[in-house]
Amino acid sequence: MHMLKYLLFEGGLYKHERILEFLEDVGGFLVQKTVVGLDLIMNLAVPEEEHERLSGIVSELKGKLSPAPLIGTEIGVVAPTLSRHHLPHPACDIAENLRRHGAKTNIIGLSRGVGQKIVHTTIKEKELIEEHDIAVFTLGNFERCLMKKTKLFSEIEVPVIVTGGPLMKSIPGAEAYVGGIGRYPERARTGESIEKLREVSRVAGEVVEQRRREMDLDPLIVDPIVVKAEIERQVPESTEALSPNPVTLKIDGVRVKLPYDEYKDKIGNISIGEKKLSEFAVIKRSLMRNYILVKVLPKSMF
Amino acid sequence: MDSSEELGGQQYKYIAEKSVEDLGLGGSIDSIDMLIRVEEPVFIIVIRYKEVTGKSTLGDASYIDSRKNGIRITLSSEIFLGDALKVLWSKYGRDRVEQIGRLEIFVSGADPEEVKGIRLSEKGYDLESRINELAARIIPEGFRVRSSTKEKGMITIIASEDPIKEDWRVLARRLEGDAHA
Repeated sequence: MHMLKYLLFEGGLYKHERILEFLEDVGGFLVQKTVVGLDLIMNLAVPEEEHERLSGIVSELKGKLSPAPLIGTEIGVVAPTLSRHHLPHPACDIAENLRRHGAKTNIIGLSRGVGQKIVHTTIKEKELIEEHDIAVFTLGNFERCLMKKTKLFSEIEVPVIVTGGPLMKSIPGAEAYVGGIGRYPERARTGESIEKLREVSRVAGEVVEQRRREMDLDPLIVDPIVVKAEIERQVPESTEALSPNPVTLKIDGVRVKLPYDEYKDKIGNISIGEKKLSEFAVIKRSLMRNYILVKVLPKSMF
Repeated sequence: MDSSEELGGQQYKYIAEKSVEDLGLGGSIDSIDMLIRVEEPVFIIVIRYKEVTGKSTLGDASYIDSRKNGIRITLSSEIFLGDALKVLWSKYGRDRVEQIGRLEIFVSGADPEEVKGIRLSEKGYDLESRINELAARIIPEGFRVRSSTKEKGMITIIASEDPIKEDWRVLARRLEGDAHA
C-alpha cells in the first residue's frame, strides 16, 4: 500500500467539491471537515505522489495547504489533577494548539498527579492514557519536582511528551521534553508563549512521523483510514453519534463513539475486501465512556 | 519572593499576581511574601491585607449626602461596589440607581436614613474567605500538610508534604518580620 500524506486545507467553501472529487479519484480521504461561516478547514490524506497535483488544485482555489502529521492521531493531554491549579491553563492551550495542527485531543486529569512523594498513575489511568497515540503530560515549574514525577509516565507504553517550566533538554522516561511551559495562570497570548505551544505540536508531529515510519516496516493489514471510511459507510449510526469526531482516526486503529455492548458485533461484522473487521483487528471496550476501540493488526500477525 | 529555584520562583510570583487580579483583591492586599525550598520541600506564604470589619450596612461602608432629587453614596472602598449595587437594585430598581463614578452611586428619590440602614450582605463583607481562597490557589497542590496562623491583617501558611518542622516555623516568623518591614 502506498504511503499517505496528511494535509491541512484552509480556504473557502467555493468549489471545494473539486478537492473532494480529486481525493475520490486518486484514493485519498477526507478525515475531517469543519465549516465556519464561509471558511472551510479540511483534514485530508492523499497518496504521497498525488501531493503536487492537489497543491495545484488548491492554489487555483486560492486556498492554503500545509503538511499536518498530527492528522489521524488521538492525543491525550494529561494534567496532574483536575483542580484549577492545573486546568484550564496550560493543558487546554496545549490541546487547542494540537487540534489546530490536526490532532484529536482528550484531556485527562490524574487522581494523584501531585506531590513529590504520593505521585503516581493508577493502572486504570495508565490504560486510559495508552488508548491514545501519544500522551502529553503538563507538569509544573520546579526542576526538582519534575524529576520526582518521572514515574508518572515512565511505564506508559505510548510515546510521552512532557512540558514543564524549567528549561531542560530532556527528562528521563519521556520521548521529548518542552520547557518554558510550566504552571501558569492565564491564557497564553504573548508571541513567546504561543511559540512554545507550537513547539509542542511540532515535537508531537516528529514523534508521530517517527512512529509511522516504524510502523511502515511492518504495516497494518488495512490502513485505519479505510476502516474509518468503511465503518462510516456500513454503520451509518456511527456518523450520527453526538460526540465530537464520532469515528476518531488513530495511528493504529479507530475509536468509534457508540456504546460497546450494543454495537461491538455490528462493527466487528463490517466487511473490508474479503474479510470481516473482527478477523484482522482487536475490538475492545474503551475505558472512555464505553466507546469501541478498534486496533488493526500488523501483517506480521498473519 | 525567595526561592531555591530561580525560574520556578519567578513563575510563582506571576501566579500570585494573577490570582490576586482574578479574585479582585488588588485593593485589599498590602503584600505577599513567599519562601520556597523545593528540596525540603516547603512553601511558606505570608499575606498582609487591609482588614475590613464591621462594615455590614451601607451607612458604615460609605458616605451619604442628599442631593436635589435623590442621594449620592460615596463608597469607602471599591470592594463594596458589587454588593452595594446589588442591594440597591433590588430595593429601588435599576431605573433609579445610577453608578456615576468608580465609587459613587446616585439613587433618585431615596431617603438617606433608610439607605444607611441597608445591609450589604448577610454576614458582612467576607474578605477573609477570599484571602484563604487566594492562598489555596497559589500554594502548589501537592503540599497538603498545612499549618496556618493568623494575626490582625496577616495570614501565614506553611505548606509541605511532610509534618511541619520547627525550623520552618522559625523561617515563617522571619518572613513575617520581613513582611512587617
